[in-house]
Amino acid sequence: MIYADNAATTQIDDDALNLMIELQKNFFANPSSSYKLSRPIKKILNESREKIAACINAEPQEIFFTSGGTESNNWAIKSFAEKNIITSAIEHKSIINSCLYAQNYLHCTATFLPVDNFGSVNPDDLQKNILPQTKIISVMFANNEVGTIQPIKKLAEIAHSHGKIFHTDAVQAVGHIPIDVKDLGIDMLSSSAHKFNGPKGIGFLYAAKNLNLIPFHDGGGQEFSKRAGTENFPAIAAMALALEKNCADMKSYSEKVSACSKILIERLKENNVDFILNGGENRLPGHLSLSFKNFDGETILHRLDLKNIYVSTGSACNAGQIKISHVLKAMKIPADYVQGTIRVTFGRNNTFDDAEKIADAITKIIGLKNFKS
Amino acid sequence: MSKKIKFGIIFLSKIFRGNILKKIFKCKFCGAPLHKDCVALNKKLIGRNVKEFVCLTCMADDFDCTEEDLRDKIEEFKEQGCTLFL
Repeated sequence: MIYADNAATTQIDDDALNLMIELQKNFFANPSSSYKLSRPIKKILNESREKIAACINAEPQEIFFTSGGTESNNWAIKSFAEKNIITSAIEHKSIINSCLYAQNYLHCTATFLPVDNFGSVNPDDLQKNILPQTKIISVMFANNEVGTIQPIKKLAEIAHSHGKIFHTDAVQAVGHIPIDVKDLGIDMLSSSAHKFNGPKGIGFLYAAKNLNLIPFHDGGGQEFSKRAGTENFPAIAAMALALEKNCADMKSYSEKVSACSKILIERLKENNVDFILNGGENRLPGHLSLSFKNFDGETILHRLDLKNIYVSTGSACNAGQIKISHVLKAMKIPADYVQGTIRVTFGRNNTFDDAEKIADAITKIIGLKNFKS
Repeated sequence: MSKKIKFGIIFLSKIFRGNILKKIFKCKFCGAPLHKDCVALNKKLIGRNVKEFVCLTCMADDFDCTEEDLRDKIEEFKEQGCTLFL
């Protein structure tokens, strides 16, 4: 099996998994209870919060645990959806649909900034579109489909120069590239553990301490009375451990997955395959969005599936019609390439051999015979 | 014979012939007759504009997988509601 869809989800780290099992089994008390059985659990919860905060240069009280990136995104947008929100045209659906919800139900307008052919937001476009009534600006740190990293620091500066709040959906970026929320000027940041070798169903929202975050769930006093509900602390502890390990290993991980990407690209070129690499140079390491001329991305995906190679596609068949993703549409990928888009995202467990095998498998599917094997 | 009757007979015979002579697809390699699901699978896994089709046996051989894998794919596409398999 070659799993090359790490942008969709990652395999849980062994240490994180073992920790989760251990805690589920032997530390089962409610963290909110007052007796001594709960004290070590509270300690683990606090330590987890500190670990995560340290990874992004935040303070522990600025970290709020959620069920994942989607909840964090919904919380951030809906907390500050007043009169006008600005976001980009290539956001994750949880941001786009939250903005549309705000339009439909919270008497708010939403402005969607365009992107260039590389999927990058132009800071000048943000400058031009900020209104006096804009409250929050949300631009994703790195795009999930093409991997393009946005000019976050510049965008946050522009937001702050107008007194606006800046949120970033950093689900694809946390644990893969260095993030310093203070240096970058980020007011809120969403993250999801299963994207950085943590468990599914847990994530966090970073919110700067000066923000007046509206409680997402009402009930008990958990998460500084901002998000009620008994904490999933085994998952929280596992998330903190996975993130800590990823951040410690970030340089060598980045070099390895970048090398995998390079091998795959070079192999496709050697095999004379006609393709476009989407997203430009400033991309997440190991992240490849490839568009093949006059081919169908879904066909490639399913043919690779038959070879136990797992990737994803930029289009989907919907009742007989091929629907192109909103990200690829916004980037104006050429019409004869866009339908043949697949996404290959390398992770910790991939090898250089995987990259070669994927390239050769794609070459065979596309139908070219003059390749090395 | 009036023109109307003539055209009526021609029209009905086209429909009649169409119903009797349903298009039979055959594998381009071994000549085996193909089930409609197999034809749909060709379109999904080779391309929607494909003009020549292959049977599951020849497809499995070419794709280096098993026929069971291909039947699983057919079921997967049906479960997803793919209209090619209706």
